[in-house]
Amino acid sequence: MNAKLGIAIARRLGASCVSLVFVVVAVFFITSALPGDVAQSLLGQAATPDAVAALRHSLRLDEPVLLRFASWAGGLLRGDFGMSLVSHQSVMSMVHERLLHSLLLAGITTLFAVPTALLLGTLSAIFRNTVFDRCVSVLTLCVVSVPEFLVATLAVLVFAVQLHLLPALASISDIHSIGSFLAAFSMPVATLGCVIVGQMARMTRAVMVNVLSSSWVEMAVLKGVSPTAIILRHVLPNVVAPLFNVMALSLSYLLGGVVIVESVFHYPGIASLMVDSVASRDIPLVQTCALIFCAAYLLLTTLADVVALFSTQERSRA
Amino acid sequence: MMLAFPLPRYLTPFLQAPALLALLWLLLALAGPWVAPYLPGEVVSTTVFAPISARHWLGTDYLGRDVLTRLLYGTSSTVLLCAASTVMACGAGAFLGMMAALKRGMTDTLLSRFMDGVISIPSLLSGLVAVATFGSSVPVLVLAMACIYLPGSYRTCRMLALSIVQKDFILAARMRGEKTSYLVVREILPNMAGPVLTDVGLRFIYAVRLLSNLSFLGVGLQPPQTDLGSLTRENLLGLVYGAPAVIAPALAIAFLTVGLNLALDGKGRHQ
Amino acid sequence: MLNRRNMIKQGTRLLATGVCAAQPWLGTTWAEDNNAVGAGFAQAGQQGTQPRTGGHVRAASTSGSLSDTLDPARQSMATDYMRGNMFYDGLVALDETLTPHPALAQSIESTDFRTWHIRLRSGVCFHDGAPLTSADVVYSILRHKAPELGSQVHYHAMTMRTVKADGPLGVVIELDVPNIAFPSVLGLTNFAIIREGTTQFHKANGTGPFTCAVFQPGIRSVALRNPNFWQPGGVWVDSLELISISDDMARHNALLSGDVDIIAAVDPRLVALIRKRNIAVLESPTGTYTNLAIRQDVGPGQNPDFVQAMKLLFNREQMRNSIYLGFCRTGNDQPLPPEHRDCNTTLPQTEFEPDKARFLFKKNGFLNQSLPPLICSPAANGSVEMAVLLQNAAQNIGVKLDVRRMPADGYWTQSWMRFPMGFGNVNPRASADMTFAVSFASTAPWNESHWRDPRFDQLLALSRQEPDTTKRHALYNDMQAMIRAGSGVCIPSFITSLDGFHPRIQGLRPHQGGQLMGYNFARHIWVDEQPTRSTAGGTAP
Repeated sequence: MNAKLGIAIARRLGASCVSLVFVVVAVFFITSALPGDVAQSLLGQAATPDAVAALRHSLRLDEPVLLRFASWAGGLLRGDFGMSLVSHQSVMSMVHERLLHSLLLAGITTLFAVPTALLLGTLSAIFRNTVFDRCVSVLTLCVVSVPEFLVATLAVLVFAVQLHLLPALASISDIHSIGSFLAAFSMPVATLGCVIVGQMARMTRAVMVNVLSSSWVEMAVLKGVSPTAIILRHVLPNVVAPLFNVMALSLSYLLGGVVIVESVFHYPGIASLMVDSVASRDIPLVQTCALIFCAAYLLLTTLADVVALFSTQERSRA
Repeated sequence: MMLAFPLPRYLTPFLQAPALLALLWLLLALAGPWVAPYLPGEVVSTTVFAPISARHWLGTDYLGRDVLTRLLYGTSSTVLLCAASTVMACGAGAFLGMMAALKRGMTDTLLSRFMDGVISIPSLLSGLVAVATFGSSVPVLVLAMACIYLPGSYRTCRMLALSIVQKDFILAARMRGEKTSYLVVREILPNMAGPVLTDVGLRFIYAVRLLSNLSFLGVGLQPPQTDLGSLTRENLLGLVYGAPAVIAPALAIAFLTVGLNLALDGKGRHQ
Repeated sequence: MLNRRNMIKQGTRLLATGVCAAQPWLGTTWAEDNNAVGAGFAQAGQQGTQPRTGGHVRAASTSGSLSDTLDPARQSMATDYMRGNMFYDGLVALDETLTPHPALAQSIESTDFRTWHIRLRSGVCFHDGAPLTSADVVYSILRHKAPELGSQVHYHAMTMRTVKADGPLGVVIELDVPNIAFPSVLGLTNFAIIREGTTQFHKANGTGPFTCAVFQPGIRSVALRNPNFWQPGGVWVDSLELISISDDMARHNALLSGDVDIIAAVDPRLVALIRKRNIAVLESPTGTYTNLAIRQDVGPGQNPDFVQAMKLLFNREQMRNSIYLGFCRTGNDQPLPPEHRDCNTTLPQTEFEPDKARFLFKKNGFLNQSLPPLICSPAANGSVEMAVLLQNAAQNIGVKLDVRRMPADGYWTQSWMRFPMGFGNVNPRASADMTFAVSFASTAPWNESHWRDPRFDQLLALSRQEPDTTKRHALYNDMQAMIRAGSGVCIPSFITSLDGFHPRIQGLRPHQGGQLMGYNFARHIWVDEQPTRSTAGGTAP
């Protein structure tokens, strides 16, 4: 039985690698298909045809697309992510620090958001169709529906501009103590929390309600099984897979989708690096960022799928 | 738990209020172009971010245009575009997800890995390329948004369907020799309707947000057309003056999404 | 012939750093137009404190990305210029009225305006301790000629036929054609002097007032005062951190909350609020403009009546009020702003005349014709708003104009100058001559409307050899009249640059060269923790 599970997990991981390769190839050609290239973007208004041609040549952009892809992919296999065409630094050194910043922000947000969302979702599922449930529903919906730039800006206006309690910018270079760390991170984390807690709480509630109102739970209730046992024995195994899936989708957003939070709080993360590199058509950098987002996403979803595999097996054994 | 008592019956009408308000607002918006007091691109006041007044019920925006007018135009385009793309994304996502869950094997693996690949390509890139390739028009926008949200919906639906297809009643139905279409329509879909509808509601919210992000990038709706998210964004500076120009579109989005989601919740409950 | 000797004399003290020593602000036209500027500035001059050394300042600019660079050749964004001016110096510096003064050069002389003799200041050292020599200057200028470098001033470098060292402190530059305005070219930030042989720009090694402590593209730069700066009293603050916040609201919030001391580009809509909170707003009348360019080689722009009608369709008063909230000066479809010393103020003002425009459209059959769209983008500041106002004005006279908003990234290379009707955004040029040469001459690289007039080219060549200021001014006047009448470029307004700063910051003055003292604020400011006065100027008009 366990060997079977092992094979299933191995196959799942293998399939994820296939996705990764697919994304690498797709992103390369998508970026190449974007109008304009890095030579034009560097020159900006000074882009005369001669200057563009000369710069293209010096950046080796005049080589065929396939050749450039092959050399980049070759470097990747050796663990070399290439050089940024814009800053002439190694891509790894540029990504490294920002990735750590992003992981830090994502990690803190997860610590805060996942328990909140699970608690809210579960409680409103248990007390479904009560005043509590309705209040949570309306509140989470309101929070989720307000654009995040508005939430972030409003927070800054109140806590930084009016009350002078927190700094308006979350500049990493200013953090020297626990206090300044908490002050700098509270608003970005709260803003991101608003975006993902709502989604996770709602999906948690929906999944839970679905199971709680199912015939087999009703049967268990009729049989007089205690509520705790119902939750642990009957509900949890059935919701764990979809819940992990919901969380995986939400959390993958924390790495790549936080451009607005990064720009409002001047937080040097990897999402804004990606946007920058797309704007300047710095293909090696775009590639690497895309690779990181993709890998993070695949890691999370694969984890969710593996959990699903486990839980189905548990159930089939039970 | 003080709040955990069942809802008193006399409160029910109040719960319908958001949905009703959203509906009312929707009707008004669809009639927007006919009831709007001004033209959407017309500068009607020399004061920017003006407060509420008799001439301008919702004040003026950052250029001195009438906010109510722009809100009416913006709501209709937002609702139409986002609803169309959400329905397309979730419809296709649910269909493919259930198929994958039922068929399993190679179909499932290929489809799932492909969707994973698509979902992890940043939507900014996809949006830019779609518009660069096909030009910026309403059908392209709807399709692009649908494609961006399809994989997410697919994942959710597949997961839900997977946990259902292993249930005894499905096995029993399969034993009976029921056709796939019967399984989908009569057995699987009703059992996952709640979460799927919740997902639809959330995706609508995300579509509203994506539309405004695309407009911000310069690939969304072209002036004088506009959408609610862009209205909020372009008037953001008015926030320091508490201008209705930024509050009204944000409230409009909230009404629409809360109303829609509560209505969908209700639907899910009745299943 | 004394008057044919160079107009820049040795020993002129440039860029006076103390407010008391500030040159009287020239030009009265714009001052009448916008009283708040004059008032706020005069106040600063009378009551300002003496410059003092010390203090840390944090400034936030607008643009900032991965493309941030310390290579003078590649600088093209506001933040780049500001950063470059902290670490580097040019041979020539432009003052508040864009008048060139020698900087690293001690003198610049020419008798025929074609061969220019430059004498370098002695005793100037780079940050690494090496002395400045003519070899550094020759290297710094000639490198712009290499096309693969991707220099922003490649075009200007190519007008120099030879650049040669003449002894350790002498440089001789020979131009292709005589140009009396050549010293202004050397005042471009991109022509900053770097150490000979520099190819890596992870750190800056210049002669400038600050040394580079930290440089993180897209995040921040930290500058420390250069104790060996060649100009006594040329720099005051101990350290300066420059960050960029592209989100408008976030940048203003950072100023209001006190997270930063100085921000560039205050939105006109927030001026009143900022002043109410006792934070000052610096108003600099600049020659920056956002313009519509109607190409005259394709589409309807081939018909001069169409161009004329479009110019009449600009409701300049409305644009002034609703886009800039009064913080601009009305433009007259020619590129020199009213406060410019060479501006032709005698030209009749083009007014908003929709009926006349409609008549011209109708006469030429444009009423029922589908017209090319107006191409605009957030990249060209204010162009989307202008396009919308134009679209509405056209709709009111029965002309349907489509607006197509383009993504900001790639706009300058993908869209600008490529469509029959598109918006552009031009920063003030170093001199009137440069404006004409790069944007309006027949062979100009950035001739946005593809306007060709041989007589204009002749006048340009004449003006470049005319030593008499009055005669040259007359030539410039004629050239502006020709642009206004003939070219397809519509310039509805010149944008007043607005910068916000806390009262503890002293020494900021208006500058015609652009935001924050022509991007060169760092060396001029000092910190006074107990300001004796409120620097908050008047209320918004």
